[in-house]
Amino acid sequence: MLFLISSCLAVLAERFQLTPQLLHVSVNSSLQRVYLQWTIPNLTYHQELKMVFQIEISQIKKSNVILVANHSSAVRGDRAVHWSWDSELPLECVTHFVRVRGALDDARAPQPGSWSKWSPWEEAHVSLGPNELLVYPKEKLVEEGSNVTFCWISGVNLNNISCYLSGIAIHGERLDAHVSTFKWNNVLFHRDTGTNFFCRHTNPTTYDGVTVFVSKVLEEPKDFSCETRDFRTLSCTWKPGVDTALAWSKQPSQRYALFEWVSGENKHCELKNSCNWQITQDSQELYNFTLTAENYLRKRSVNIAFNVSHRVHPKAPHDVNFDDVSATRARMTWRVHSRGKSHTFLCQVELHCEGQMIQEHNVSVHESGEQLFGDLQPDTRYKAQVRCADANHFWKWSEWTPRNFHTLEAAPSEAPDAWRTVTSENGRRKVALFWKSPSKSRVNGKFPFYNIVVKNMENSSEVQQHALQAPVNSTWLSLGQSSYLIQITFTNSQGTSPALVMGISRDSGNEEVEAERVDGTKEGFMISWKPQTRDVVGYVVDWCANSQGQHCNLQWKNLGPNATSTNISSDAFKKGVRYNFRVYEISAHRIAHLIQKNVGYIQELAPLKSPDVILSNPTSHSFVLNWTTYATESQPGFIEGYHVYVKSKDAQCPQEWEEVVLKGDTHFSAPDTLRREVLGYIFSIGGSTFTTKPSLPYMLLQIILSMTMCVLFLLGLCYWKSQWVKEKCYPDIPDPYKSSIRSLIKSKKPPLTIMSVKDCIPDALEIINKSEGTKTQGGGTGKLHAENAPTKLAYLRLLPTEGSSGPGPCICFENFTYNQPASDCGSCGHISVPPRDPPYHLELLTSPNNLLNVLEKDYTNSLGEIPAEQSSLNYVSQLASLVCGDKDSLATDPPMPQHCSEYKMQMNISLSSMILLGQGKH
Amino acid sequence: MVLLLASAAAAMRGCSRSYAQLLSQLQNQANMEENPNLLLEPYIHLQDLDTDILRNSCMVYPSVFPSEDALRALSKPGFLRAVHATLGRLWNSLTALQKQLLQDQDLPRLTITKHNIQGMRNNIHCLAWWLGSPLETSEPTQGGSRVSLTPTPALDVFWSKMKSCRLLWGYHHFIGLVGRVFREWEDNPNRSRRHSPLRLVLPKGTRKIRPSRRGQRPVRRAQ
Repeated sequence: MLFLISSCLAVLAERFQLTPQLLHVSVNSSLQRVYLQWTIPNLTYHQELKMVFQIEISQIKKSNVILVANHSSAVRGDRAVHWSWDSELPLECVTHFVRVRGALDDARAPQPGSWSKWSPWEEAHVSLGPNELLVYPKEKLVEEGSNVTFCWISGVNLNNISCYLSGIAIHGERLDAHVSTFKWNNVLFHRDTGTNFFCRHTNPTTYDGVTVFVSKVLEEPKDFSCETRDFRTLSCTWKPGVDTALAWSKQPSQRYALFEWVSGENKHCELKNSCNWQITQDSQELYNFTLTAENYLRKRSVNIAFNVSHRVHPKAPHDVNFDDVSATRARMTWRVHSRGKSHTFLCQVELHCEGQMIQEHNVSVHESGEQLFGDLQPDTRYKAQVRCADANHFWKWSEWTPRNFHTLEAAPSEAPDAWRTVTSENGRRKVALFWKSPSKSRVNGKFPFYNIVVKNMENSSEVQQHALQAPVNSTWLSLGQSSYLIQITFTNSQGTSPALVMGISRDSGNEEVEAERVDGTKEGFMISWKPQTRDVVGYVVDWCANSQGQHCNLQWKNLGPNATSTNISSDAFKKGVRYNFRVYEISAHRIAHLIQKNVGYIQELAPLKSPDVILSNPTSHSFVLNWTTYATESQPGFIEGYHVYVKSKDAQCPQEWEEVVLKGDTHFSAPDTLRREVLGYIFSIGGSTFTTKPSLPYMLLQIILSMTMCVLFLLGLCYWKSQWVKEKCYPDIPDPYKSSIRSLIKSKKPPLTIMSVKDCIPDALEIINKSEGTKTQGGGTGKLHAENAPTKLAYLRLLPTEGSSGPGPCICFENFTYNQPASDCGSCGHISVPPRDPPYHLELLTSPNNLLNVLEKDYTNSLGEIPAEQSSLNYVSQLASLVCGDKDSLATDPPMPQHCSEYKMQMNISLSSMILLGQGKH
Repeated sequence: MVLLLASAAAAMRGCSRSYAQLLSQLQNQANMEENPNLLLEPYIHLQDLDTDILRNSCMVYPSVFPSEDALRALSKPGFLRAVHATLGRLWNSLTALQKQLLQDQDLPRLTITKHNIQGMRNNIHCLAWWLGSPLETSEPTQGGSRVSLTPTPALDVFWSKMKSCRLLWGYHHFIGLVGRVFREWEDNPNRSRRHSPLRLVLPKGTRKIRPSRRGQRPVRRAQ
C-alpha cells in the first residue's frame, strides 16, 4: 500500500508541474507589508500535499534579489497558500518583483521532489509625474525604539531635493537617480500628534511630507488582583501604566480584556484599571484569569489563579451598638456580612480616647460579635471601631466601622489639690485659697461644685460654708486671729470627693523668715531645706509664676515628709525675673509653718533702669544724693552696689571722672576728700548729671588770690629793677676799715697786705649775693602756683572693684613743682574714665602722650632708674625752695636729700596706684 | 399677522437693543480673535509645524474664505450674510479639528474660539435684523451650519495638518478683515443708504420694529 502511494506521488511529481500560480499580490502601506496568495493549479479538489515554497523578491530590477524565503505548507486544490513579508523600505519607494516556486515535502514521497518552475514575476511600482515629489511611508505607526526608513521619489524634472525631520535638515542615501532614503533609528516618542518628515523642491516649488506616529511601549499591567466582597462579583484591579493613545485617531488608549480559562469566558473592560467579573452560580471556586492589554502594536498579558474563598475582602461590620454603658465599663456589639455560621471572621476592635488608642482586642465572629471594655474613665468620650477579615484565609481587612460612646459620671475620687496664702491686715487675716482645676480622673463628672468649710478651732460655733462652681479656682476668706480648720471638697451629680484639710494657726501669716538667695539654672531652682520638726506629714513649696507687679499666679508643689529638697522647674520661668519661694512644713494637724524663703533668678540680667536720684543739700563743697525709691526687687538681677562718678567743674579733660563705688547704700554724701567744687556725677547703671554752682566766697577768694599774685609779682619786679639800677649806677664801695679781717692782719702780720684764703678758717658764712635769694623766692611762687592750679585729680576708692588686683584705697596728688612734664600729660585723668564711654578709650589709645609711655616712665623712676639730670633738677629745685624759705634752718639743719626722696616717692606711689586702678577698670 | 409678530419677536429675543452696542461687540470680538497667538501659533507648535517652510506654506488664504474684495463689494446685509455663513462653516471645521486632538487641553483656546464664533454669529444675526435684512435662520444660532470645511478623508495626516493650519491662519486673517469693515461702519454709518441702521426694514408682511428716538430700544409701530 505504501509503495503504491509513493509510486503515485512520484508519478504526480513528474507528470504535473507543481508550479505555483500567484493569485493576488497586495500591499499594506502603513505596515509596509506584502501579502501573497497562490495555488497549485494541477491539484484536484480533495488532494492534499505537503509542499515547501521558495519566494523571491527583487527591488528596482529583477536581478536585484533582496529576499529568498522558504515557506512550508499543506496544499489542497481548493485552498490558497498565504504568505506575507514586511519590508524595511516603504514599498512605494521602488519597484518590487515577486515570484514563487514549490517542491513536494511529503514523507510519503520516495525521494525529495525537485523545485517546480518559477511563477511569472509580479511587478509593483509607483508611477510618477515629471514634477511630482512623493514621500513615504504615509502615516507610519511605530513603537518607541523602532527604526523607520523614509524614502522620497522625485520626478525627472526635480533634482535638488531637501528634506527635514521635525524641522531639522537631513541627508539621505540615494538609491537611484530619483529615489533616496533616510533611516531614522531608535525613534523616541516626541508628541502624540506625530513627527513630521517632509521634502521640498524649490523650483518648481513643490513639497510633500508624512507624519510618523511613535507610540510609547505598551506596559504590562501591574499589581493585577481580584477579590470579592459579596461572593457575587469579582472585582479585579491593576495599574495600567502609560497611556499609549495618539492623536489624529492613530491609536486609541490601550484596551484591557479579561479571559477566564476555567469557564473560557472573555470580557472587555470598560475602565483601564479595573473590571468586574460575575461569579457563576455553579459553585466555581477556582479562577484563572489572564488580563491582556492591547494596542495597535502590541499585546501584554498577566495571569493570576486563585480560589475565590481566599480572596474575600469583607464589607465593613454593621449594626455596631453599645450596651450597658456605665462609668467604667461598656459593651459593644456588631454584625458581619457572613456567608453562614460555618464561616469565621477575625474582627479587630480598637478603643480610642482623645485621639490615642488605649485598648485593642481581637474577636472571632461568625455572624455577630461583642466586646466588653473595662477600666474606663467616668464621664469620658470614647471612640470604638471594629473591622473584620476572613479568619481562615486572611486576605484584607474590611474598612473600619467607628462609633462613639460616653461613659457615665461617677463621684469624685480624690481630694482637691489646694493651697493658701495668709496675710495680716488690720488685725484680721486674709486667707486666699487656690485650687488646681481637677483632672478628669479626679472629678469624674461635669460642672463640679467646690465646697469650703471653715471652722474656728477655738470657737466651735463659728463655721463658715462656701460653695463655688467651676471654673472658679480661687477665693479668699477673712478670718480672725484664732486657729482655723479649712476643708475643701468638690461635688458632682454623683457624689462628693474626699476633703482636703488645711489648718490656719494663730501665727500663720506673721512668720518672719529671712530670704536666702538661690541660684537658678535653665533647669529651674534647686530648693533644699532642713527639717524643723519631726511631726511633719509633708512639705509645700509655693511661688508666684509671674514676675513682680503682675498677677501672682500662685504655684505650689506638694512633697512627702521625707523630702529635704526639690527642683522647681517651669517653662514659665524667665530670665531676669526674680522668683520668691516659700517652703512650708505641714504638721500632723495640717497646719503649715513657713520654714524657709528663697529668692533667685534663673539668670540675672544687667539693670535696665537707672535710679531716680534726688540731689539734696548742695553747697559749694558738698552734696547728698538719694535714690531710696529705687526698687531693687523688680530689677532683673540682684543689685550689688552703685557707681558714682564725680569730676571737677574746672577739669579740662572730659575723661577725668572720679569713681565712687557704693555697696547697697541708697544715698551718697560727698566725703572730705571730695569736698571741693563739684561739677556733677554719673551712675554706672544709668546716666544722670548734676551740676553744683560755685559759691560766691569761693569766687571772691579766687579773685583775691589772683590779685595778690599780681601784686607780689609787681613788687618782685620793682625790687629786682631797683637792685639792678643800684648795681649799675651806684655800686656799693666796700669799706676796708670796717672789715674784721683788717683787724686780724693788723694784730699778727702788719706788713703783709695780701690775705691767703687757704689760711682762713671759716666759722661762719654770709651770703651777700641777694639775687640768689630773689630766685629762691620764685621757687616759693612756684609752689603757690601749684596750689592755685586747677585741681587735677584725687582718687578715692571705697570698695574694691571686682577683679581689680590693685592696692586698696589710695589718693593721688601731683606736685608740678618737681615734675613739670607730668602736668601736661593729664595721665591721671585717663584712669578715671567711666568704663562705658568708648570715646575716652579711643582718646586714650591715640593720645600722643600715651598713658602707657607715661606710666612706664614713672614706674621706671620709682625703681630708682631716674636719669641723673632729671634727678638733680628735681632735687635742686626742691632744696632751693626749702633753703630760701628759712635761712636759719639752713645754718642749723642742713637740707637732707632723703626728705626730697620722700616727695619723689610720694608721686611715684600715686602713679603706681593709677596703673593698678586702670588695670582694674580694664 | 399674530404669527408673524410672534416670529419677529422670537427672532429678536436675546438680541442687544442697541445697534451701536452690537457693532461694538462685534468689533471687540473681531479684535480679539484676529490675534494668531491665540490659536494658530499653539496649533503650529502642537503639530510639529514650526519651521519656516511649513509656516510659509501655512500662510495661504484658503479659498473657503471670501476675499477682501468680495466682502467689500457686498452691501451691509450681504456682508453680514457672508460672514455669518463663513463663520458657521468654520465652526464645524473647528469642531472636526477638535476631534483630531487627543484631548481638549492640548489646544484649550479652541473651545473659547468656538464660543466666540457662536457669539459673533448671534450678534451678526441681530445686527441683520437691525438693518432690516434678517438672515435666513429665524433664531440666533446655537451652532454652525451643516456645510463643513472638514478635511477630506483621503488626505493623510501631514496634509490634514497643513490644511488645518491654513484654515486657522485664514480664520485670523478673515476675522481681522471683518473687524476692519465693522470699524468702517462705525466711522461711516451711511455707507449703504439702502440699509441704514437707523431704519428697520422687516420682511414683507412683518410688522416693523423701530428703535426709539434715543436709538436704544426698538419700538413697535402700530399699523
